[in-house]
Parts: sequence; structure tokens; C-alpha cells
Amino acid sequence: MNLKIVGIDFLYNIRSWTRSRGTVFWSLLFPVMLIFLFGAIFSGIGEGKYSLHVQDLDNTDMSQGFIDLLNSTGVLNIKNVTTDDVITEYIKQHNIKNLIVIPQGYKNDLMRSYVDTSVTVNLTYYFDPTEQQTNQVLRSVISSVLQGLNMQISQGRTVVAMQEESTITEQFGFIDFFIPGMIGFTIMQQSIYGSIERNTKYRKDGILRKLLTTPITRSEWILAKMLFMLFLAFLSTSVAIGVGVLAFGINVNINLLTIGIIIATSFLFSGVGMIIGRFVKEEETADMAAGAISFPMMFLAGTFFAVESMPAFLQLIARALPLFYVNEGLRNAMIYMNQSEALTNAGIVLIFAAIFFIAGVVLTKWKED
Amino acid sequence: MSEQRFKCPKCGAISCFNGNCGETKIVSCASCHVQGRITISSQEQNGNVAIEVSHLKKVYGDLIAVNDITFTVKKGEIFAFLGPNGAGKTTTVEMIESIRKPTAGNIKLLGVDIKIGFNRIKERISILPQEFHSFERFTIRETLTYFSKLYKKPANIDDIIDTMDLRSHEKKLYRNLSGGLKQRVGVALSLVNDPEIIFLDEPTTGLDPKARREVWQVIANLRSKGKTVFLTTHYMEEAEHLADHIAVIHKGKIIAEGSLQELISRYGEKTSLFIKNCRSEEAKRHLEEKGFEVRSSGNGDIMVKIDYKEKVLEVLSELRHKCIEYDGVDIRGSNLEEVFLRLTGARLTEEADT
Repeated sequence: MNLKIVGIDFLYNIRSWTRSRGTVFWSLLFPVMLIFLFGAIFSGIGEGKYSLHVQDLDNTDMSQGFIDLLNSTGVLNIKNVTTDDVITEYIKQHNIKNLIVIPQGYKNDLMRSYVDTSVTVNLTYYFDPTEQQTNQVLRSVISSVLQGLNMQISQGRTVVAMQEESTITEQFGFIDFFIPGMIGFTIMQQSIYGSIERNTKYRKDGILRKLLTTPITRSEWILAKMLFMLFLAFLSTSVAIGVGVLAFGINVNINLLTIGIIIATSFLFSGVGMIIGRFVKEEETADMAAGAISFPMMFLAGTFFAVESMPAFLQLIARALPLFYVNEGLRNAMIYMNQSEALTNAGIVLIFAAIFFIAGVVLTKWKED
Repeated sequence: MSEQRFKCPKCGAISCFNGNCGETKIVSCASCHVQGRITISSQEQNGNVAIEVSHLKKVYGDLIAVNDITFTVKKGEIFAFLGPNGAGKTTTVEMIESIRKPTAGNIKLLGVDIKIGFNRIKERISILPQEFHSFERFTIRETLTYFSKLYKKPANIDDIIDTMDLRSHEKKLYRNLSGGLKQRVGVALSLVNDPEIIFLDEPTTGLDPKARREVWQVIANLRSKGKTVFLTTHYMEEAEHLADHIAVIHKGKIIAEGSLQELISRYGEKTSLFIKNCRSEEAKRHLEEKGFEVRSSGNGDIMVKIDYKEKVLEVLSELRHKCIEYDGVDIRGSNLEEVFLRLTGARLTEEADT
């Protein structure tokens, strides 16, 4: 193994890559754009009105007066929940993100507070912590309404207070879910399409034939390419994490498992690209084949949406896809700090990587039959 | 054991035979079975051979792409492997370059059997593949530098740039070059290791006549540098213009081999002398009486077949002797196209187009 040759090929790859604006865009800026786009969509940025479900267990003129006050802010779209509904079940069944409960005895307690200053009324505000932007807006709107109400009733003494409860148990936002998925997706795209370019375009252009008659060996060449793919994988991961931390304030844990999964993912999908490049000779057809494999995988493997939100049969398919374990592994290792689960995911990714990369290397031939 | 070539005196086919140095053998031609005598020469005597191909064969299922071909290429010569598309040229050259595995036969490059020693001679050979396109986002200099760094003893890049007249383009990206320039870069790339043998596979296909001539000049310069050039082409003018030695391949077999003059004298038509606007019937009758082969076109022109150009004056003096006047004369010699036509019954250009 001549490491000097490997180094030369690696450096020339970087130089060539930086000269293609399109490649740089798709490798780095496109994922950033998706992060911002999906971050905005799923975090509630840009919504005109915010939905707030209200369950009025008191059902009196005073509780209705509070609802009217909320309505008068003009930013809330109030949806009433019947008193028959068990609120926790209702939230679960209807996937409710924000809900406020006015307790039974609200009017009575308010009346008593005029004579007994120790009496307070607690409204319960249920919220989805993954919707951070929406929560901030709703909290400030409800607080303002309560402040005004308290001022009216008791010249500012807190009579009506708000008690918060999460609709889900884990304290993570959508962006925490999304960034690792985006990293997995980006590495997949880079590795598959990079491999395909090397194995179809270079073959068509006679570059592989030329290289075959030079002193560089096939293993040196593949090693140089893999170093380049790893360089790209870590670069795009750094960019995605940087955007997540700086723009969305996520907390990321970089550990050996994270690095291991990134390396294994790069090898895995490079192997997939090599296999496609071996069987599909035309560059355009190979690109289409890569798209046919990577795009469904992107949506099915939980890159943008939690797999749990999909129908049962799709969840079954998702669990057969390597990208699912990449996404889950990265989330567990980087965000949720669930290292035992991450280790299991990393192990599965490693097995996929070994199978696909070895198959890819074996099938990648410079010589013709 | 050494290998010795036997060139059939009847059909010109070349066969190879093994034997001990100095041994004299009676051998027979593989094609027409005519017998001859050879003396096996020593390796030292074969030291000026760059490429030795013997009984090379490539079979794909029922298709015999290359059918038992044998030839040698001397050091320092431009060897043209001429044939139409699909004749087996690229399959042959790819077997010599170790890209394809032969079904049968032996190949030696610079005396090294490539089955066992190809890696040893990689530093000494270079190729320009057919329809080669280099890395699009490298400049010419970067492309040359990249490939040169793959070798232990790279040639001086500046020298190559100057030799190939690429100085004014060296900072241009490869993808922005014209077809002719790309091919010049391709030939330049084949010099980065200062090789002894250069394989150029259809180096001018798809180029306009001007660009083609530029590449021809570059290839001709390689000969002056002492390089051995193995040129595959389906352009007969290219072979005529460049080659010291030509092998014509048709349907996987070498059907003729030799220098241009040898091929024309062996397989070509006689030289044709066209005499325009004369009293054709009278001229024809007179010249036929004098033993010439004459054809009349019916519009006052005649065509006289002559063995060599010196006969022109003799024909014209016969006409003058009979006071037959004419408007002009045109002499057309035989060429490779005619050789190919004679050997295969088809024109090379027609075959190339199919």
C-alpha cells in the first residue's frame, strides 16, 4: 500500500470537489436549507394563528369570560373540548399540541378570592415540548391574559395562575429529532452518488482504464476515495450540527458512538453506490437507480418524521432499512444520550456496512470480462 | 526456449514458433500451410521487440472477437492497427493492456509476459483509452501533475506542456477545452511517466480535420523521441500518414501486415493514369495494341493501368506518336482503401459506418 499515492488522490478529490459549486451546494448548503425549512415548518415559525384547545370544566359566565379574553387577543384559534372527554386520553387520541383546562369551581374560587386573599385558581396548560416556538408564543399570550385578569380582579395579586404539563414525557424539540436524521440522509446521498460517479462516469470516460495501467492499485484508489467520503461526511455533519447549535440551540453530544456511526454509514452507502455502479452501467440510469433507492429510504426511515407516526406496515418496512438504524443511532448517541440503544443501532449499522461495503469492493472491477 | 516469427512467403501471415536458440526448424504457415525454414534467434537478437503477441484469441459465447492473431511491434516504430469498428482492435489492445483477459494466447511487453509481470512494466508503458475524458474540474497542469505523481519517476511536466504546445492553455479547466485540445492532453498524459510504449486507441475519432492533423503532428513527434507507438485506428489516412508498420484486422483476424509500400505493392491495384478528353476509341485501340490495359469511360476520357509511374511518359509518347491530343492527365496511385477493398470486398469507410 503506497500511502503517498493515497494522499495525492485524496487531496486532488478535495480540490475537484471544491470547484463544483453544484456539488458543494448539494453537500453542504442543501442540508442547511432543509434544516431551516423543516425547522421552521415543524417548530411553528411563520404561523399566523395558533391553535389552543380549551376544556371548560366550570362552564360559567366567568370561565366563558376568560375564554373571551383569550379570543380577544386575535392570535389564538380557540377550539373547545367537551367536558366529557378525559383530557389525557383526548390529547393522545387527537395528537393535541396545546390545551388549557379551566377547572371546575373556577367561578366560586374567584368569588371567594375577593374575601379570602389566600385563594388561588390553577389553570392547567398542556404543551408539546417539541414545538418550542409555538410554546413560547402561547405562553406569553396566556400569561398576558392572566396578568390582565389578575390586575382586574385583585390589582395584580396572582389569583389565577397557570400550571404547565407536557403532553409527552421526553423534553426534546423537533429540531433535536431532525438534525441527526439530516446528517444520516446527507451522508447517504454523498456516499451513494459519489460512488456512482466513480464507477460509471469514470468507467465511461476511460479513467478507470487509464488508472489500471498506472501504478496505483485498486485498493489504494478505493482507500483514497473512502478517506474523501469520510472527510465529506464529517464536514457535512459539522455544518449540520453547527446550524443546529447556533440557530436552534440544540444540545449535541459528540462521542465515539456518534463518530463510529458516521464512519460506518459512509462505508455502508459507498458500498450501495458501488453495487449500483457495477450493475447499472449508464451514468444517468445509475443516478435514477440511486434516487429510486435513496429517496423512499429518506422518507421511510424516519429522517423527517418519527417512524411511530406511520402506519404499522410502513413501520415494518422502515425497520428493514439501514438508514433507519443510522438515524436512530445518531439520535440516541447525539441527542437522547441513550447509549445502550445507540450501541445496538451502531452494531446493526456496522453489520449493514460490512455486508454492503465488502460486496461493493468485490463487485467493483477495473478490468473488463 | 525462445520464440521466433515466421512470415509466410505466400500469404504474408505471421506465425510464432518456440525452440532453442540457434535451432533450425521446418515450420508451416498457420493459414495456408506453406512450409518454410526458421532459425530460432536468441533473446538478445529479439531485444528490439517492444510488443510480441502470439496466437491471441478472445471469445464471448459464440462470438470470436479476436481470432488467433500473431504480430510483433519493433521498438521505436509507430505500429498502426487498422480496421473498421467492431473488427476487434480495441479488444486486442485491451488484452495487451491487461484490461481484458485473453481466452488464449501470449502477450509480451518489453520482453515481460504480462500474465505474470504486468505490474512490473506499468512504469514503462502508457495508454490513451478510446474516447478518454479526464477529470473535468482539473486544469491541464493539475491533470498532468496528478497522473505523474502516480509514478516513481515522473517526467518533467513543463517539458511535456512545451512539447505538446499546451503552455497557453495549462490553466484552463479540462471541461472547457476543445475536442482537439482534450486529445492533445490525452496524448500528453501518456508521456507523464516517460514511457517506452504508448498505446493510443482511436486518438482522433470525432475530431475535425484540423484537430486531427494537430494530433497527428503530436504522434509523429513521439516517434522522433524514440517512443514505440501502438496506434489503433479506423482512419486509413491516419495509418498512411503515421505508421511505419500496419496490421489490417478484419472480423477478428489480421488479414495483412507490412509497411504501407509493402501492403500496396502486395495487395493494391496498379497505378491509374487518367487521360482527359482525347479521341478515346482510337487511343484505347492503339494503347491496347501496345500491351496496355485500358478502359474507356465513354465521355472521351480513358484510364490506363500502369505498373509504376515511370510508365506515364511511355503512354503519353505513344499518344503523341499517333497525334492524339488530350486536355490533361491525372495519376492516381493505390492506397490502403484499395488494399482493404481488395482483401475484404468492402470499403473501410463503409465498414466503419456500419
